[in-house]
Amino acid sequence: MKNDNTFGLVVAGVGGQGAVTIAQLVLGAAWMSGLHVLQSEVHGMSQRGGEVSAHIMISKKKVTSPTIEKGTGDLLIGLEPLEALRHLVYLKKGAPVVSTTTAIVNMDSYPEVDRVNKLLSGIDGVKMIDSESLSKEMRFPQAGTIALLGAAATYLPITDKIWEKVIQERFASKGEKVIEKNMRAFMTGKELILQ
Amino acid sequence: MKKSKLLLGDEALALAACDAGVKAFYGYPGTPSTEIFEAGEKYIEKTNDGRVAEWAANEKVAYEFALGTSYAGFRTVVTMKHVGLNVAFDAFVNSAITGVQGGLVVAVADDPSMHSSQNEQDTRVLADFAHIPLLEPATPQEVYDFTIQAFELSERLKLPVVLRLVTRLAHSRGEVYTAEKRLAPTSVGIPSEEEKNNWVLIPAIARGRYRDLRDKLPNIIDAAAKYNSFSANGRLKEGVLMAGMGIAYFEQYLSDNDIDPKKYNQLKIGAYPVDVQLLKDFVEKCDTIYVFEEDYPYLEDMIIPYAEGKCKVHGRRDGILAIDGELNLSTVRTVLAGKKVEGKVDDDLLAQISDLIEIRPPKLCDGCGHSDAYEAITKALKNIGVDDPRIFGDIGCYTLGVQPPFNAINTCVEMGASLSMAFGAAMAGMSPAVGVIGDSTFFHSGMPTLLSAAKSNLNLNLIIMDNAIVGMTGQQVPVAADIAPTLAKATGFEEDQVHVFIPLPKKTNENIEKLEKIFKEDKPSLIVFKRKCIQAMRRKLYTKPEKAEV
Ligand code: SF4
Repeated sequence: MKNDNTFGLVVAGVGGQGAVTIAQLVLGAAWMSGLHVLQSEVHGMSQRGGEVSAHIMISKKKVTSPTIEKGTGDLLIGLEPLEALRHLVYLKKGAPVVSTTTAIVNMDSYPEVDRVNKLLSGIDGVKMIDSESLSKEMRFPQAGTIALLGAAATYLPITDKIWEKVIQERFASKGEKVIEKNMRAFMTGKELILQ
Repeated sequence: MKKSKLLLGDEALALAACDAGVKAFYGYPGTPSTEIFEAGEKYIEKTNDGRVAEWAANEKVAYEFALGTSYAGFRTVVTMKHVGLNVAFDAFVNSAITGVQGGLVVAVADDPSMHSSQNEQDTRVLADFAHIPLLEPATPQEVYDFTIQAFELSERLKLPVVLRLVTRLAHSRGEVYTAEKRLAPTSVGIPSEEEKNNWVLIPAIARGRYRDLRDKLPNIIDAAAKYNSFSANGRLKEGVLMAGMGIAYFEQYLSDNDIDPKKYNQLKIGAYPVDVQLLKDFVEKCDTIYVFEEDYPYLEDMIIPYAEGKCKVHGRRDGILAIDGELNLSTVRTVLAGKKVEGKVDDDLLAQISDLIEIRPPKLCDGCGHSDAYEAITKALKNIGVDDPRIFGDIGCYTLGVQPPFNAINTCVEMGASLSMAFGAAMAGMSPAVGVIGDSTFFHSGMPTLLSAAKSNLNLNLIIMDNAIVGMTGQQVPVAADIAPTLAKATGFEEDQVHVFIPLPKKTNENIEKLEKIFKEDKPSLIVFKRKCIQAMRRKLYTKPEKAEV
């Protein structure tokens, strides 16, 4: 982080996608990096299919607000393109967005997916990742999502060593193979942005 | 060095309770309070040190469980959401008169902006009504600290103490420094010979106890004073009166914008009842006061009379803040800085986005039995000539039946209302009258209606959507399963008035036919749609033993 101001991250998705897991990975990583953190989760009425988002505040100073003020957020991770559009209002001018192109069409009124992706990808600072193909390519259903996190990590003040530790801890109960797959997906996402 | 952890507000409360030597958690699930109990249960399972966690049939029963535990001298927590406190209100108000023995903490989570609730009611008002002290933390750390102090306060004042959380705090995850030692649950003993009758609220005793409670009020206000801080060095005579998340947003606003805190006079409220002298003193120092608090303009209404003719009060009453909905950083900034920030999305982009985005409503999981049940119910009604069926609904996953494609329920008032409203409509001549309720909601407060139903000769159809789990709040195990048909028969329903259906697609036609017949009969009937919740099956929750071992 360049200065002492609070860094605000929004993770937006649909119920069941793991938005809260992604948020917690970032939260844990920032915390392990010695920064102050606060995160809030918003899930709607039911279990599945509704909008889910998380706000994460990271700062060198103490943070007290668990939510980001509209127009001031520093980064958005879109686990679903329409949800990325919906949460764009939280970002400040020039803030980057990392979003998937893979839509979750679970409502009749979902607009044409191409229109959504076209509008989103045309916005300044938006990087799009086709997480569905990535998951297929890597033969690992969660690869796309973790790659989005990896891509977003390029904008976060957290070292690779900490990321590795966080991912290891999170998936420790699932075994070495799963940790390794997640790490690979993470680095793939990161490289997509850096190259 | 003390150790810190990342905890949800709800989790911080549960952990603090354990660290403070709590014996038991009781409650009824309700967003956003559910995780308090669940975190408590998890700590207990892990440590296996003689504590208990038990869901009750409803909040009133849970509250009474807690009172009993307190009578036995142990510390206890009862958890519920704000509307749950209405259900427990009888016990709540009277517990201020009986007093408590072991510390009793009432953890209530309010839901400003109604993320998953029927109203925005403010627990501070109810605690005030009952003369019960209330603590209102602003950060996960304060949730932890206040919880530990609440037990001490409860035992010192011999009163229950409410901890008020709001959605935003209950579901915020942040750093929490915890105590180094966890106390084991120990009893302070049952009420003494002189005190044992305090708990018998016959009028002769209750009158004295009520007077004692009123006499205690100065002590309660004194105890709360420690949580309320006053700083009057504001250069501009601008004051901010705030509580809970209002404090959190205000402080973030100062910090993010590098504003010197000395710019404002500040009155921060962390506990209630509030000493009115504080408010009077504050008014003297200010010519303008902004009020930031969640839910009702509670402090605002308290201070307005003292401000009259002396200083202006801005908040929900004069419309600077909306009268409803939760606070956030933007509202606080807009009020104090007088302008919104210009972000990434300008008006032009906003128009393009608004053109595309639609609300994505939560829906029943694909393949949930509720959908098949609703299909059968609505079709059967149409088939017998009810063109515009009206069905009384209730609270749970099945409430989502209000949405297309089901359009299957027309009311949702409070837990248990569906069955009683169907009864009332049937009394008024609606035929067939249909009420739909979940199994957990039925045990919560639908059951008494069964008694009236059995004695009636109305075309009243009580439908239980039975998945043997509390689906909506994350699949908690309800207090009972499978006993509704037996109960119905015990209340006077005949064999041919009780029906059990399986809501599976392949059974839909058969179910419709049977329902048509039942709906045409002029007598009450109980219909149980029985099928397991997919999410609970996935999580293998049905394999757990049904009885919690105590
Ligand atoms: S959580 Fe269970 S009860 Fe609720 S919609 Fe999903 S399957 Fe149905």
